[in-house]
Amino acid sequence: MNMDYLPELLKGFGTTLELTLVSLFTGLMLAILFTIVLSLKVRALSWLVKLQILLFTGTPLLIQIFLIYYGPAQFDVIKNSVLWPWLSQPWFCAMLALALNSAAYSTLLFKGAIDAVPNSDWEACMALGMTHRQALLRVILPHAARRALPAYGNEVILVMKGSSLASTITLMDLMGYAARLNAQTYDTLTVFTMAGLIYLTMTGVLTLLIRLMEHKVLAFSRS
Amino acid sequence: MGLTTLFAEATVMTLGLALSSLVLGLLMALAFSLAELSRCKPLALATSTVVAILRGLPEILVVFFIYFGSTHALFLLTDEFIEISPFVAGTIALSLIYSAYASQTLRGAFMAVPKGQTEAAVALGISRFHCFFRIILPQTWRHALPGLGNQWLVLLKDTALVALIGVHDLLLQARMTAASTYEPFTWYGIAALIYLAITLVSQNILERMKSRSNRHLTSSHSVTEGPVEKTVSPGEATA
Repeated sequence: MNMDYLPELLKGFGTTLELTLVSLFTGLMLAILFTIVLSLKVRALSWLVKLQILLFTGTPLLIQIFLIYYGPAQFDVIKNSVLWPWLSQPWFCAMLALALNSAAYSTLLFKGAIDAVPNSDWEACMALGMTHRQALLRVILPHAARRALPAYGNEVILVMKGSSLASTITLMDLMGYAARLNAQTYDTLTVFTMAGLIYLTMTGVLTLLIRLMEHKVLAFSRS
Repeated sequence: MGLTTLFAEATVMTLGLALSSLVLGLLMALAFSLAELSRCKPLALATSTVVAILRGLPEILVVFFIYFGSTHALFLLTDEFIEISPFVAGTIALSLIYSAYASQTLRGAFMAVPKGQTEAAVALGISRFHCFFRIILPQTWRHALPGLGNQWLVLLKDTALVALIGVHDLLLQARMTAASTYEPFTWYGIAALIYLAITLVSQNILERMKSRSNRHLTSSHSVTEGPVEKTVSPGEATA
């Protein structure tokens, strides 16, 4: 196998990692916000959150990226606004699309986990004289986390894999460099195998990290 | 006028690609899950590895690998440039991705069918072949349907990737129209809405199939899942 490709591919590795982490963080913050909105049942707002979830879980990520990157250029209002320097940047657009996509799926996940905690848990807490806050922080959320964390681990991997789609809007991430090397050398099998190995390593390391985190966070649920 | 026809044709292309990947993917998933459950350890291990690799790679890389890689591989083998059609390459790539996830659901579902069922069939003198297709597989279906349905929704969205290798699907049509009219937001938006409509219709049909598969149970809506889930981890599928 030709090792010359490795340094070139690794140039894109940083972009992939950065894009994944920033999108995940933004997505997580949004998801927490959306979950709070849904849990508190604010009427107009939760309607909006539901619409966001419907749109972002019902359409392909690739279209979302294209829509956010190419879409705004159609409107002169946006082109002349202060948002344009951000929206004309592929990195920001890919990040935004990934974050919104991840937020939609994570919200479903978090809401499902909270709803799955039986009502009797609340009642038991109240019977024991806990305050609402105590019950939520000490009993309900840890139990919800137990359900949500393993699934959120999947979401982390999905965002990492999804970040490769950023290469389609000219962002030079790992996949971007792989596609360019392929076009330059026609050494398809080698180039893509190496890129694949890097991605697999990332998936492996991420999976391991998530397992470790689960182990730490869920220590309370083991006897 | 013309554009409506073009978009309709592109939608048919997307649906055709998704459905043919589904059929091929289900067959491969069945083979993968049986191989993973087989008593032949090397075979089980090899299949698990392939599945883990497919699940760990970005979908776009798999699609590119199959499309560009197959030409390269055929060139190395035969010294001739044989190009396989983007549609075939796309179908193979998508069905591989689908089967990697679906095989885990099926494996869980197979394990959810009690062993006593096989033993009873053997005791009644039913052949192994008959037992598998008439007794085990129908029971597996009920357990596997929610997971397979979710993965169908994922597959449907992944079909957008084949536009990148030149299949004339919904996304490519939107891209071409957007480029010629300078109205990217409108056309990508329309394509997105068509995908959304297909997803919603699929969800509706899946819901009906689920309640049908559970109709022998007393409460027909006992197995209900969240509206859209990206993946079902193997553990959850059986729970």
